[in-house]
Amino acid sequence: MSVRRGDGLGGRAAIAGIGATEFSKDSGRSELKLAVEAVRAALADAGLAPGDVDGMVTFTMDTSPEVTVAQAVGIGELSFFSRVHYGGGAACATVQQAAMAVATGVAEVVVCYRAFNERSGRRFGSGVQQREPSAEGAALGWNLPFGLLTPASWVAMAAQRYLHVYGLTPEAFGQVAVVDRRHAARNPAAYFYGKPITLEEHAASRWIVEPLRLLDCCQETDGGQAIVVTSAERARDLRCRPAVITAAAQGAGRAQEQMTSYYRDGLTGLPETAVVARQLWRSSGLTPREIDVGILYDHFTPFVLMQLEEFGFCAPGEATDFVAADALPLNTHGGQLGEAYLHGMNGIAEGVRQIRGTSVNQVPGASRVLVTAGTGVPTSGLVLGADEG
Amino acid sequence: MVSGTDSGFDERLKAYVGRAAMVGGTGKDPVNAAMIRHWCEAVGDTNAAYTGEGAIAPPTMLQAWTMGGLSGHTGRSAAYEELFALLDGAGYTAVVATDCEQEYLRALRPGDEVRFDAVIESVSARKTTRLGVGYFVTTKMDVRVGGEDGEGEEGEVVGTHRFRIFKYAPRRKGTAEKSGGARESSARRPRPVVNRDNAGFWAGVAERRLLIQRCGDCGRLRFPWLPGCNGCGSEKWETVEAGGDGVVFSYVVMHHPPFPAFDPPYAVAVIELAEGVRMVSDVVGVDHDEVRIGMPVRLEFRRVDEELVLPVFRAVGPATETTEPAMETTEPATETIGPATQTAEPASRDPELAPLAVPITRTLIVAGALASRDYQDVHHDAEAAREKGSPDIFMNILTSNGLVGRYVTDHFGAGCVLRKVAIRLGAPNYPGDTMTLRGSVIEAEEGGGRAEGLTVVRVIGENGLGRHVTGTVTVALAGGGVV
Repeated sequence: MSVRRGDGLGGRAAIAGIGATEFSKDSGRSELKLAVEAVRAALADAGLAPGDVDGMVTFTMDTSPEVTVAQAVGIGELSFFSRVHYGGGAACATVQQAAMAVATGVAEVVVCYRAFNERSGRRFGSGVQQREPSAEGAALGWNLPFGLLTPASWVAMAAQRYLHVYGLTPEAFGQVAVVDRRHAARNPAAYFYGKPITLEEHAASRWIVEPLRLLDCCQETDGGQAIVVTSAERARDLRCRPAVITAAAQGAGRAQEQMTSYYRDGLTGLPETAVVARQLWRSSGLTPREIDVGILYDHFTPFVLMQLEEFGFCAPGEATDFVAADALPLNTHGGQLGEAYLHGMNGIAEGVRQIRGTSVNQVPGASRVLVTAGTGVPTSGLVLGADEG
Repeated sequence: MVSGTDSGFDERLKAYVGRAAMVGGTGKDPVNAAMIRHWCEAVGDTNAAYTGEGAIAPPTMLQAWTMGGLSGHTGRSAAYEELFALLDGAGYTAVVATDCEQEYLRALRPGDEVRFDAVIESVSARKTTRLGVGYFVTTKMDVRVGGEDGEGEEGEVVGTHRFRIFKYAPRRKGTAEKSGGARESSARRPRPVVNRDNAGFWAGVAERRLLIQRCGDCGRLRFPWLPGCNGCGSEKWETVEAGGDGVVFSYVVMHHPPFPAFDPPYAVAVIELAEGVRMVSDVVGVDHDEVRIGMPVRLEFRRVDEELVLPVFRAVGPATETTEPAMETTEPATETIGPATQTAEPASRDPELAPLAVPITRTLIVAGALASRDYQDVHHDAEAAREKGSPDIFMNILTSNGLVGRYVTDHFGAGCVLRKVAIRLGAPNYPGDTMTLRGSVIEAEEGGGRAEGLTVVRVIGENGLGRHVTGTVTVALAGGGVV
């Protein structure tokens, strides 16, 4: 079983292209148009033509079908298409799926994409008030009559437990927000470009759902992001320096729920992230100390702390101090708090830029980057590496 | 439809602030033993101070002596009538009393003849509440005894009475307002998501039982409901009924965004039942900012609307694991005790009053209304109440006030004297419900060198719809303020 030993995917595929639209609060165009623009941009970045693409992967939550995007971009026949479920937990898994398709010869060039008008259209932060009586609907349904209705509230329940068990106050979450915004302040593509914040500003921001304040919550964004995956071998001949997929993993924990895994363990960690971490370390042979940059999914700050602990960068309950000490360059694009909320896909692009040496907050000589996807849901992660072939 | 939503209308209303609402009012009857007895019988007050030789009137009857009764009010000012006509004309035709703050300076006794004057103290800006859109109007009345017309003396002030009403345009069901249909349904709490796998749980709730699944093979308890066991994979299961004890495992306080059926800020918790399983629910009986991890709670069932009953959990004590030995068995032994428990309230815990459950019968509502000389039809005529948008008759504020006063004096017993009662009403008391009054001493001043110590009690009365009344009662204890 892959959760018990390393897999054979590492090094066989690479990210050859990244492309995005602008990140805004009101794109003024359709989600399909955003997807098409992002895919075109990623192909141009890779130096590939639409006719080179034979695979596409997106999120089950995406409203633009693979075949429709393919039509509008000028892509022809597809031999591989796939969608990954569980919201932002899908992000790195889209790349994993693409890498598996490429590694097995099912496809040669696969484009992963995610595009939405999440700010001007359907806002996730506005919450859920009803669900269909499917198994999935019923799972979330246990929370609804009692008024636990928003993503922030689902995360806050675990965050409260984390503070309680480790004897912390909500200000502990501020370090992550400050680091993200510091990086965003230097990133012209970031919504919060030129707008760093202080711990005091974090502590003074209004409550959204205690113990989470406004500045613990990511933005809501309109935009699109695409990633082009091909074989490591082919990537070497393309326009940009390849970002090799050193390891890729998905993970779900025992008794896993979607955002509301309240019925298991102590609620102070992310067991699904632990599954991903174990698999990434085993497959890559790396340890936390060998990672140069961490791009950790940050829809809400507390789960960045828990991820650092699950990946073994620090001990349980110590992530706040770890972040405060700047021990690992984190979310150098500004994260989803600072740059944009693109369901984690913009984080993968930042990982690629670090490997290429083109980040606005470049870590000198970065050759190993950890990228993660949506947390609190079945999730995924990647280790991207510089090409050594 | 409501008109007059412009700021000009608000300005016109504001012009009435400071003007007299009632001038030279006189009680229709002197304070008398018969009305006192009717009142005491209606609210179930058996306090010895209100009967026999030297009887006083229950202080909470203060307003009753000023009521116009079936023949109507006397002494209402033209300004007051105009203000109401203005609101009625603009569509704000319904009225409900929301707040009553009374201070009792001296007891009224049979034979006292009350006189009263009132002023319009404030008119709010236009407000949107669950009842509808409207304006809060606050009046303040001084009640006096003695002093005669034309003699230039005002008499002795025996009590003051601040009264707030909400004059509003009732929300009509099924009005073709844009997105009105959605609004109608979304103003109710989100429905549980019921399917074939979990219907048994909700069937249990309908019978006021909280059912947990137990694996038919390995015996493991599980929640949420699923058709198989995560421990052994068995599809066999049965149910066990939860005993009802639990503890707050974690909680959040919801602030933003607002939802129509909820009133932020409010707390939602993960409850760990004594049986070991957890569920998401609401914690009732404490304010949102008083919920703590480790707080012991007890199951109860709450009707939130005509078709939905929910299992909720009432806080039954502070989150002090040292004083709640049962807690140790429900907290995993490996976890450290966090700051909330270490900094729990010091030893001077608020003395709690024993709860009082008041069945809200039709008789209580009508008897209370008539004993307080309140002949508003919504308190005795179900048909008229329904026409005004209420599902049934509902208790008037004077009766609620009387019940709160009685609850506190019952606790402190003979010799205590009510000094102030200030209440705010929320969810109405409809027939068939039960209101449970709970109280805790929030301030107790020792008698010291003075003749009396004042004790302040916070009282909350909850019914099946939520909080009917919240208030504070100040009471003078004959023996000094120590409980």
